[in-house]
Amino acid sequence: MNKKFWYLTKVSLKKKVNSKSFVITNIILAIAIILLLNLNSIITFFGGDFGSDTNIIVIDNNTNTYQLLKQNIKSLTDTTEDMVNLNVTLSNNTLTKEKESLKDNEIVIVLNNSSSDYITAKVISKEKIDTLTYQVLSQALNSTKSALGMSINNIDPTILSKISSPVEIDRVVLSNTNTIDENMDLIMSSVFPTVILPFFMLTIFLIQMVGGEICEEKTTRSMEIIISNISPKMHLLSKILASNIFVILQGLLLIIYAVIGFLISTNMLKDGLSLPSEVTSIFDSLVETGFIDKLIYVIPLTLVLIILSFIAYSVVAGILASMTVNMEDFSQLQTPLILVSLAGYYLSMMAGMFNGSILIRILSYVPFLSSFISPSLFMMGEIGLIDIIISIVILIGFIYLLLHFGIKVYKVGILNYSNEKVWNKFFKAFKSKDV
Amino acid sequence: MLLVKNITKYYGNNRAVSNLSFTVNDGEIFGLLGENGAGKTTTFRIIMGLIEASSGDVLLDGKKIDYNLTDKIGFVTEERSLLTKLTVIEQLKYYGVLKGLDERVIEKEIDKWLNRFEITSYKNRKIKELSKGNQQKIQFISAIINHPKLLILDESFTGLDPINVKMMKDAIYDLQKEGCSIIFSSHQMEHIEDFCEKLIILVKGHPVVSGDLNQIKEDFGIKNIMLRGNDLPLEKIKKVNGVISVSNVRGEVEVKIESKEVAPKVFNLVKNSNITKYDLVEPTLNEIFIAKVGGVHE
Repeated sequence: MNKKFWYLTKVSLKKKVNSKSFVITNIILAIAIILLLNLNSIITFFGGDFGSDTNIIVIDNNTNTYQLLKQNIKSLTDTTEDMVNLNVTLSNNTLTKEKESLKDNEIVIVLNNSSSDYITAKVISKEKIDTLTYQVLSQALNSTKSALGMSINNIDPTILSKISSPVEIDRVVLSNTNTIDENMDLIMSSVFPTVILPFFMLTIFLIQMVGGEICEEKTTRSMEIIISNISPKMHLLSKILASNIFVILQGLLLIIYAVIGFLISTNMLKDGLSLPSEVTSIFDSLVETGFIDKLIYVIPLTLVLIILSFIAYSVVAGILASMTVNMEDFSQLQTPLILVSLAGYYLSMMAGMFNGSILIRILSYVPFLSSFISPSLFMMGEIGLIDIIISIVILIGFIYLLLHFGIKVYKVGILNYSNEKVWNKFFKAFKSKDV
Repeated sequence: MLLVKNITKYYGNNRAVSNLSFTVNDGEIFGLLGENGAGKTTTFRIIMGLIEASSGDVLLDGKKIDYNLTDKIGFVTEERSLLTKLTVIEQLKYYGVLKGLDERVIEKEIDKWLNRFEITSYKNRKIKELSKGNQQKIQFISAIINHPKLLILDESFTGLDPINVKMMKDAIYDLQKEGCSIIFSSHQMEHIEDFCEKLIILVKGHPVVSGDLNQIKEDFGIKNIMLRGNDLPLEKIKKVNGVISVSNVRGEVEVKIESKEVAPKVFNLVKNSNITKYDLVEPTLNEIFIAKVGGVHE
């Protein structure tokens, strides 16, 4: 029986992996993910107004801050990775003359003295200035004003730096869920939905795959031959195992495509394995907030939850497929299951918005939803490790019950080809003692 | 030997099979007949262990059928039970392994049977690309690849031309010689008459006729006399006590009589006519089937 079980699993898995749709889908996915992660470079490659040079013409009306402004503009444009290229020049012409000869790629800045504000500036352009360029000019003018103010008031730049730096907060939380950072909510609401999205997609994929295969065997009547040689329980388990291995494999492939896309976007393939400064700074801030420490615990537990949820979803999909007579019926019957997973996905996103929600916390223990909600609540410090472990235990118990009662329905369902009194048949099977 | 002992199967309050018993000896071909919905598929499913009988037993070589024994059973279902996306070789391997065979053994058997059925060139073709007849051959090969102890054939000749029917019949006779017990079900009565020594006719799950085919024909009573000749006294024949009907069938006169004892009376009437044919023939299975199944309906 074991040999037959492994053979069924192997054939089922091989059929999925060797299918043209799998190959084509993965080629498209790989290309799409890599392109998505390199969208900036692609847009830059095709060019446009965003990278073109803009001439900044400065009319300095006795403020003597031209050099300072030029220096500030240069240091700010250096941080934009060629998104903004500004050539700054000093003009001796009058504003009226400059206005008359102003071109599309030119901006005039008029610097004037002010008794109350040190300097004021007038920015003139022919058309609307793009946001990034405006931000650079605005910040450069602010910095110029600050420097001018310090010089006039004899303030040491180091003192000004201390004044303007943010207050260092030593955050202490007295509850047992320590190392909490309020920034985590922000991180969770932006990072977690992205991380959990592939899981949601794979769940839907899994439901359709398990159901589709069982429906196919039913509609072609191959089921009668298969079930006469292997028990319905083994048959269902082989489908579940093969489909779960497949989605895990697909998940790993998605990660590989994302890593390749990331390596290409950061030029690491060419420049060697050193992380760019932006990434290391994000990583540092994640370490500071305790995010990474939490990940060490949460990743293995989340993986366990995800795999168990995959199993639970595939058991239900298999049972539902056994109850249907054709693929159209299954498509209808799977809708509630997909909606449940969708609810889990949305609730995981809403957990950040509704901090401390009792309903979301209760739902985090519910099978099918727990794998979406529990990890996000844990990352936000709303639940502890023990709560995730409770969710896992509940899920294991739920899968056991699903298999125990579901197999009875499955056994009757796979040989049923009629829609007549279908619910009566399954209800009877559910209550029967025979497994 | 297959022993089906007093099996009854209920689906809710509906009795699908009622107290059915029969035996199929080694090397015997047994006919299981009945109109649509008579309980044949339920009987096959019970024998295959797919469903359990409400009461009664099914024993193969004295043992209750379980997953070890189903490895020794071949089943050709009425519908083509093939996974159409697989290739011929993948499909045959799939069913072969499910019957507990080693993959290398299966490969040898596949070559042998594909060659015998003259479809070797389709080995790597997908099932869905094959004609209905060739799909039927693949289904048959998948059922016998394990050299079964019991073979169930449910409408196995559907979609086959006469040449391929002969090819399949020869294969069935070879299996019979190997000692395989065969249950054959078909709505084409001529195939049953060709094949089966014993049979059962089911009506609404209940056996209405069972036993040896010759005995069934004998017991049926009604015989046919086939006459050919000139100046046949047809009106006189119709008036003979025991004559049921007189009709023209393909240029001959068919006289249906209640029993063989009536035949001499008919012969006496026609012996002085210019007859070129006088043949007392057994009723066809088709006639028996219609009489028995239709009679129950009435």
